[in-house]
Amino acid sequence: MMYDHILVRYGEITLKTKNRKMFIRALRENMKRALSDFNVQIHTQWDRAYVTLQDEDHGAVMSALENINGILSISPIAKIERTEAAMKDTAVDFANTFGTKDTFKIEVRRADKTYALNTFDIQQMLGGYVLENVPHLGVDVKRPDHQIMVEVRAEAIYMYHEVVQCIGGLPIGTGGKALLMISGGIDSPVAGLEVMKKGVELEAVHFHSPPYTSPQATEKVKQLVDILSRRTGTDITLHIVPFTELQTKVHDWIPDNMSMTTTRRLMLIIAERLAEKINAKAIVNGENLGQVASQTLTSMHAINAVTNFPVLRPLLTLEKNEIVEMARNYGTYDTSVLPYEDCCTIFKPKAPKTRPEVRKVEKFESKVDFEPMIEKALSNIECYSALEAEKNDAFGSLL
Amino acid sequence: MIYMDNAATTRPYGEVMETFMNVNEAYYFNTASIHQSGRKAAQLLEASRKQIAELLGVPDYHCIFTSGATESNNLAIQSVLRRKQPYGGTVLVSELEHPSVLNVLEAMKEDDFRVNYIKTFADGTVDTDHLKEMLNDDVIFITVMAVNNITGSIQPIAEITEILKQYPKVHFHTDATQAIGKINMDYAGVDSLSLSSHKFHGMKGTGALIAKEPRTLSPIIHGGGHENNLRSGTVNLPGAVAMARALRMATEQQDVSIERVSDYNHKVRSALGNLRSVHIQPSGVPHILNVSFRGAKGEVVVNALGNRGIMVSTTSACASKLKKLNETLLAMGNARAIIEGSIRISFSSLTQEEEVDEMITALLAVHKEIGEVLK
Repeated sequence: MMYDHILVRYGEITLKTKNRKMFIRALRENMKRALSDFNVQIHTQWDRAYVTLQDEDHGAVMSALENINGILSISPIAKIERTEAAMKDTAVDFANTFGTKDTFKIEVRRADKTYALNTFDIQQMLGGYVLENVPHLGVDVKRPDHQIMVEVRAEAIYMYHEVVQCIGGLPIGTGGKALLMISGGIDSPVAGLEVMKKGVELEAVHFHSPPYTSPQATEKVKQLVDILSRRTGTDITLHIVPFTELQTKVHDWIPDNMSMTTTRRLMLIIAERLAEKINAKAIVNGENLGQVASQTLTSMHAINAVTNFPVLRPLLTLEKNEIVEMARNYGTYDTSVLPYEDCCTIFKPKAPKTRPEVRKVEKFESKVDFEPMIEKALSNIECYSALEAEKNDAFGSLL
Repeated sequence: MIYMDNAATTRPYGEVMETFMNVNEAYYFNTASIHQSGRKAAQLLEASRKQIAELLGVPDYHCIFTSGATESNNLAIQSVLRRKQPYGGTVLVSELEHPSVLNVLEAMKEDDFRVNYIKTFADGTVDTDHLKEMLNDDVIFITVMAVNNITGSIQPIAEITEILKQYPKVHFHTDATQAIGKINMDYAGVDSLSLSSHKFHGMKGTGALIAKEPRTLSPIIHGGGHENNLRSGTVNLPGAVAMARALRMATEQQDVSIERVSDYNHKVRSALGNLRSVHIQPSGVPHILNVSFRGAKGEVVVNALGNRGIMVSTTSACASKLKKLNETLLAMGNARAIIEGSIRISFSSLTQEEEVDEMITALLAVHKEIGEVLK
């Protein structure tokens, strides 16, 4: 079968009216970037878009479209001759892929009103022919499992049935920028992707404490950022903050059971200053209420006290197994579970307080001047970006 | 031949010429073509654009490739003035600007724009207090170069952007041609800046306009809609990539180069500073030295050095064939004899110490030779 183009249905863009054009334009740009390796044409309309394949493989183009935020679903569309035989063959081809005892319906749109058969004729002809040839199927016009769409146009007939569900949401770049705190665990990459669903552009920050954390741990975070970049077709910059000095200072000066709270507070202070610098409007993390000592409500309160920035926690109330499931779907799980020490696990206190008091934490922190170390950490940030790395491979010797 | 006219143009780095050749061989495609090869070429162009904006410290700005800083200045001035005409008609400009700024503004006066000149101190920097005095509701455009091409004086660009924060209507353009690769400057906050590849060891015929908000621009060259419809004409991809590489190399070598070139500058100053009738202008960037031989004509000194195989210039190369007193030196309040007798020596990161020594010997010899005319 010859697929001619792919129909793209919009996600939450359809909720927009006055500024819809802006969202469509952003989606178009993101599609263009994701499809830059294909010779295709993109036509965006008010309520849907078409990608004309121009002989490109429809499967490859579809998988490039599947992960673009803002697309609700896509369908590959066959272009066939304007004959009864061609329609019948295509309908049966489609029907053969349906499950046993599934129901279907034929839906017809006659853009070319001069075509010999009318809507009802086509429905009857194709419905009957499919039932004859794929006898286990049934017809249900109210709630069919499958719809075979037929569109009669002057130049050809277009048919499709397959609807691939995509992410939906809004196109990236329409929702401002946020800074993701990424540790290398299961939760934070998922949190990042969840926020990106709403059109938010992302940069990421990671804290490492060489020599206590291994280079592999940082490498793993880079890989996770690569996955996020590739999946969303964006160029996510990862800021790697050297944290050893601060962490050893905390270890030396802050009582063991409160060191975790102070460590997190310092990370958040650094994240906030970085966010301001890169013009991000929020900080995102993978915190999940009650999951560990630092994520109890009291801990969040004590940690959050250092910033006025909105801290977004998209995984706040999910079950751990739901998050794992999401990580698997997003393709981050296998990388996340690689066993390397990150800076949360070194100097881990034996019994961290699950109810740290801001007042007490502040009292202990006031004995140490962290400020110069914070500034030093900020000025020694190392940046990494997936596309940058790719580009260096491709064009590095030229640039 | 000893080349000491690097403010006029520089020798391309070997690696840059290599890039230029390689891109011509492997990516000679039109960046606007939709076939695979064209798209690869377009990706390379985008990577160059990104690298340039990042190296200049303004990663969110847009880079529009042009034929050089003259075109970039024309594009910024002409298009922004036209766009902003409904909101005002006054332009403030430093007296020291390059002709590719001053002459464009001169032409724009015909369209009823008023051009007011910002005063300059004796060291060649603009008087920001005077700038503040002249700011009013009718001002829509200010242009001050980052580093002057005659004396190397460094302009307070960051200070001006700070002042202009209270005047959001004003578009602030800076011609950074002479600053790139010579000095670290904070361009964050300027609305647009011009650069020219050949001034930092790139190829001639390539430059860029770096703009904060390209929507404020409109094309002055119309055609097929290249460069986001701001500059039509098949993009000079080899030149653009070569510029990205030249900028990277110049930036990487900047710190070491400044140190070395400062030594050269001191050397020349201490060798000539005490000579009779010699006046040396204060240097901003150490790369540029403006030396006057009172009583002689600059051209005579240039020729005398040329006979000894040393290439320097009077004032700027663009203006040196015009018999007019140099406007920059005039604006700095210099006497006629100093202006007439001035030559410009300009170093680059490729200048060698032996070359400087040889030039000093030659300068001393020339000074002796023309001693009779000196006042």
